[in-house]
Amino acid sequence: MTLLSDLRQALGNENVLEEPLELYIYSKDASLMRGEATFVVFPQSAEQVATVVQIAASHNVPIVARGAGTGLTAGASPTEGGIVMVTTALNSLEIDSDNRTAWVGAGVINLDLSTAAAPFGLHFAPDPSSQSACTIGGNVANNSGGAHTLAEGSTTSHVLGLEVVLADGEIVVLGGQAPDSPGLDVKGLIVGSEGTLGIVTRALVRLLPIEPEVRTLLLDFPTVEEAVATVTEIIAAGMIPAALELMDQRMTTAVEKWLHAGLPIDAAAVLLAEVVGERESVESEASQIGEIGRANGARDVQVATTEEHRALLWKGRKSAFGAMAQLAPDYYLHDAVVPRTKLVETMRAIYEIADRYELTLLNVFHAGDGNVHPLIAFDASEPGINERVHKAGDEIVSACLRVGGALSGEHGIGLEKRDLMRMAFTEIDLDAQARLKEVFDPTGLFNPKKVLPDGSRCFDFGGVRREVPEGAWV
Amino acid sequence: MTWVTVDRPTSEELDACVQCGLCLPVCPTFRLTGRETASPRGRLQAMSAIDSGIVPLDETFAGIIDFCLGCRACEPVCPGLVPYGRMLEGARAEIVSQVPGRKRLRKWLQGSAIPSRSVMRAGAGLLSLAQSLRLTGLAPKKYERIIGGARRLRGRPGSSIGHVGGSGEAGTVGLLSGCIQDQWFRPVNQAAIKLLEMAGHRVEAPSAQTCCGALAAHDGRAAEAHRMAATNVGAFRDYDIVVATGAGCSAHLAGYGHWDDDGEIVGEVSVDITVAVARAIEDGRLPALDTPRGEMAIQDPCHLRHAQGVTLEPRRILEAAGYKVVETDEVAFCCGAAGLYSTLQPEASAQLGNQKADQIRSTGVTRVASANPGCEMQLRSYLEDNYEIAHPIEWYLAALVEELEGGITSE
Ligand SMILES: Cc1cc2nc3c(=O)[nH]c(=O)nc-3n(C[C@H](O)[C@H](O)[C@H](O)COP(=O)(O)OP(=O)(O)OC[C@H]3O[C@@H](n4cnc5c(N)ncnc54)[C@H](O)[C@@H]3O)c2cc1C
Ligand code: SF4
Ligand code: SF4
Repeated sequence: MTLLSDLRQALGNENVLEEPLELYIYSKDASLMRGEATFVVFPQSAEQVATVVQIAASHNVPIVARGAGTGLTAGASPTEGGIVMVTTALNSLEIDSDNRTAWVGAGVINLDLSTAAAPFGLHFAPDPSSQSACTIGGNVANNSGGAHTLAEGSTTSHVLGLEVVLADGEIVVLGGQAPDSPGLDVKGLIVGSEGTLGIVTRALVRLLPIEPEVRTLLLDFPTVEEAVATVTEIIAAGMIPAALELMDQRMTTAVEKWLHAGLPIDAAAVLLAEVVGERESVESEASQIGEIGRANGARDVQVATTEEHRALLWKGRKSAFGAMAQLAPDYYLHDAVVPRTKLVETMRAIYEIADRYELTLLNVFHAGDGNVHPLIAFDASEPGINERVHKAGDEIVSACLRVGGALSGEHGIGLEKRDLMRMAFTEIDLDAQARLKEVFDPTGLFNPKKVLPDGSRCFDFGGVRREVPEGAWV
Repeated sequence: MTWVTVDRPTSEELDACVQCGLCLPVCPTFRLTGRETASPRGRLQAMSAIDSGIVPLDETFAGIIDFCLGCRACEPVCPGLVPYGRMLEGARAEIVSQVPGRKRLRKWLQGSAIPSRSVMRAGAGLLSLAQSLRLTGLAPKKYERIIGGARRLRGRPGSSIGHVGGSGEAGTVGLLSGCIQDQWFRPVNQAAIKLLEMAGHRVEAPSAQTCCGALAAHDGRAAEAHRMAATNVGAFRDYDIVVATGAGCSAHLAGYGHWDDDGEIVGEVSVDITVAVARAIEDGRLPALDTPRGEMAIQDPCHLRHAQGVTLEPRRILEAAGYKVVETDEVAFCCGAAGLYSTLQPEASAQLGNQKADQIRSTGVTRVASANPGCEMQLRSYLEDNYEIAHPIEWYLAALVEELEGGITSE
């Protein structure tokens, strides 16, 4: 039987796509890299996921899991061909309000989970800027974070258990209700594994109470350094605000053009801060942040007084990436993390690199945890620009690593950042990771050539997976 | 061969999309199916694939584009300001020009009825007769939903075309009668004329006008859409304000710049009737009543809310009529009417129609305001007979009349 007929038999014709145009539409995520899907499938249950895994293994064709395709590192782009497995039909949702947990299908949209939990006074804390679109499966696979990660941690802090389909087609449940399940924390390995170790079909997540009071502040600064200094001082003062987000002038200008949120576009940098909790502490923290800002040179401190105003300020921040489209058709983005105390010097270095390569660079980032997001806006059709962009990107990463930083705060490695892994890890580190991958996925079925650079395995002869000869499955 | 018409989606338009995916969750067809091929980003990718010649423009492309409602919910959330609605019209024009059999299919489906006034009038006459004899079940199957949802008409149909009246100290309004409104929703046009004149406008419905061309544009009959736009630009170019009473029409007028060289002249001064009436209430040219009249469920037509960003105005009008507005749908999903969609994609249309009806039922309110004839018909055909559905300006006018009569009796 051919791969196509096997898939059709298992899932029904309507759940397998094969038209070239349909495959093209599934050939990339929100990154710049396009792959080529062999087929696209829509499993309706964990059992069907398992069946597809077995079929793929028997035909020796890789599987690339895909949630909403909002990933920024080509994680869901089928760059080695293969079956794109879309999780949107895995959309079960059971909220256990007494235990403040929920079993959530991998295809459930992040914000839909919080909306469903709201009547119980609960929410799912990880809030990537893409939360209105991205899926829980994608969040787990990329260990995604968001503006509120500063106080509440990234996805991994909120995952108690996982239902995962392994490479042999077995469905296993890892972790569970107990806060610290006995034995090895295998679930912890799957979180952040970017679809390279198994397919997540459901997640047991922790839900947190909606905070009684929220204050959102917008501070504007004549220089980026003053804004960064404010961030450092706020944390040094012992506060952990729910969020501390920074946007530079080019970014606010792009956002403002679209949103008309009243952002001060003449400021070199704006800082969005949010404090949550009981009324008293919220008020005192908000005024403390205002004072620290002013002492560090803030020209103006705005406090959102209505829920609409707050929502508008956040919308500006959360739409920043997309607003880049106004400046140039393409963008290239890093999300390295640096120690907060090194933020000022790192920012200077980043601007200097961009100037040297004559590139337009914007900054919008989670300043509180030092997770920088320097974005380069460019037009890929300009001759020679791709090379400049990548060189500048590499230098930016080196600059971040030099001050003791890490390669990625939340977006994952995928393919786009894969070859930078060598800058961040030693051969021995990479070998250990490659061995781990082999334990879960000995034949390289899941998302091949992602995350780990070729040759990570010390005894690697030209890639873990044998290339599938063309036409073998049709 | 890629594109063949002047209306094609352009490369600049396509480049505006950065594939961020933020438009996915607001797209009704993506929500129904969970498929990228039924999402705005997927449709734009499909257009890109045609634009760069990667795949031919064939039935697969046509199917992907046909399944789109044209609700434009994807536009206001798009940070790249991708002009999706415009590009969709371009893609449809290309399909009609390039995919064999498309042209004929569309012609048959609408029996050329909608844009032609005389056929509309005959249709409306027959419909009111059939309704009063309870014969609507005899209508061709393909029209069942539309007819089932049509208003109960009384007496002879007539037209507002040629109407002239009002003082004009607040400026002269050119009224687009609209083809569907003019026949099946006459009370809306009549209410519009009355209110605009009360508000100090001179109102003229010039005879030189024709259908706005929205349906033709949405269906890919671009030549017709260009011709209609040119005729209307001629008919309306000298008015201070141009008003349409259907959200689909006012949205299309606002985009006339794409359809005629002089289109901006009319596009710039065009507003939906809800905007014109809300302005008059705000300026005190029309009264805000304070007798409470209970609750009113509101439905936002896509072409008002998503395409024109008009949300406050219908609410202000209902509040000025004394109603407490009850929201039914925070994200304002399409009701599934979407022009010919109910006929072309009956399954998806029914799912959306039922979903919308359920949202309204769950409020427990049986008075409903909807500012577009297509939506109103769809709601009628999915809600029970005890639901009263009318345009916000009709509710407002009825309240004014009631207040006046009440005033007279109490004297
Ligand atoms: C505008 C914008 C803003 C963003 N902001 C943030 C941000 O603030 N913080 C942040 O962390 N990220 C952010 N991202 C990146 C992205 O949204 C997140 O990584 C998100 O979690 C991806 O979810 P998804 O459903 O789109 O996954 P996809 O893009 O579909 O997939 C991402 C990766 O997960 C794998 N995967 C998906 N589902 C499964 C599954 N069920 N089992 C196993 N593997 C799976 C895929 O193979 C791929 O490697 C942003 C992206 C955009 C476009
Ligand atoms: S929101 Fe706009 S830019 Fe983003 S994918 Fe959709 S159409 Fe493209
Ligand atoms: S117009 Fe409506 S149905 Fe079509 S892509 Fe946009 S949101 Fe989806």
